[in-house]
Amino acid sequence: MDTNRLTSVLPTNSPLVLAPSQATPWREEEASHSMRSLAYFIGTFVAALMLGIGSAWYMIERGSLLTTTKVGPWSGWISEGNPNADPYTKAHVARSGRLPLTSTVARYFVARTDSAGRTLTSACEYSVEGSPLNARWWSLAVYDENGGLIENPSARYSFNSEEALRHSDGTFRINLSSKARPENWLPSGTADQHLVLLLRIYSPRETDASGIGLIPGDRLPKIERKECE
Amino acid sequence: MRVRIPGLYIVLGLVLAGLIHIVAVLTLPMLAPKSAHARLATLGPANAMIELPAAAPGRQIMPLMAPDVRYAFCRFDLTNGPVRLKATVADELWLIALYTPEGENFYSVAGADMKRAEIDLVIAAADQTVEEAGVDAPESSDDVIVVNSPVTEGIALIRAPLAGPSRATGAERALRSTSCGPYTKSG
Repeated sequence: MDTNRLTSVLPTNSPLVLAPSQATPWREEEASHSMRSLAYFIGTFVAALMLGIGSAWYMIERGSLLTTTKVGPWSGWISEGNPNADPYTKAHVARSGRLPLTSTVARYFVARTDSAGRTLTSACEYSVEGSPLNARWWSLAVYDENGGLIENPSARYSFNSEEALRHSDGTFRINLSSKARPENWLPSGTADQHLVLLLRIYSPRETDASGIGLIPGDRLPKIERKECE
Repeated sequence: MRVRIPGLYIVLGLVLAGLIHIVAVLTLPMLAPKSAHARLATLGPANAMIELPAAAPGRQIMPLMAPDVRYAFCRFDLTNGPVRLKATVADELWLIALYTPEGENFYSVAGADMKRAEIDLVIAAADQTVEEAGVDAPESSDDVIVVNSPVTEGIALIRAPLAGPSRATGAERALRSTSCGPYTKSG
């Protein structure tokens, strides 16, 4: 009876009749909308977490334009060891487990690639060619990825300014290779692994305006890849 | 409307990433795998000179140690007064450097910059004047270098770079004759 009356009261083309049939898709849209908002929010948070931590990690481990000078394959922290250094440099030093000399007394340059940008590996042979460095003492050493020295029969882990054989014009060539080489042979070991070269320069004789040891970029050695296994 | 929401989330994401970045930069040092200070603390007591074994494969106290440098360190603790470091600098390549536990190098002196081979270094905290502890007569204090330390605990590290592999034994012997201990007037 009631339904009959209702239908009789309402015109067949009334919006009220149409309303219930519209409501279902509208609510679904709202639900999918809030689902999408949640997905966006989680996505944003995860992306922000990765971006925030990733960028912090990279800028602390590898440096950035703010903290490091990059010359070819070499990268050196400008304010390393300095008590007034920026937070990135301080974090880098604290995490490194090292005790570097402040950059007014010594400069450290690290290379993980050759001059062409290819990762240094013990599977390849390299020629490291350098010019005289204006400093009291320098040393070029090779390490594995974790900063450990590499086992080799001649117990040779580095060449320094006093012991590297030099040409008459003061330039030198260090042969980084797993197999014995003439001249200055720096063994890269038998294990197949990535390599890290570290050039430490004690008491540079030139300094910049803030007293930081100055090593002109063209003085840093070139790392040329020779044959690979 | 639908177009605007991702844009808003990108802005929100970048702001959030920036904040996380700052927090990470400030906390990552504290999450350091193992600080140099912690590594050295396992080797012996404070206020004593300890020689580091020469770096070799699988035997490195700190990563990226120089294989052609010999090291000796003193973990100084100024809680009970200044600490004195005495060394006869064997050659001009030597470097003496003082560090905070976080690895900040707040003082350094090179062998080449010293007038005499004997170095007498007194490390004192900011509130410790060496006069109070009983310094020698002013005329002889020229020979004593007083360094004000910003930290009560830290590290003094002596580096002896080698002029060649044959110099290692001599450098090790010279490092063994250095000393570090509480400061006393007669010292």
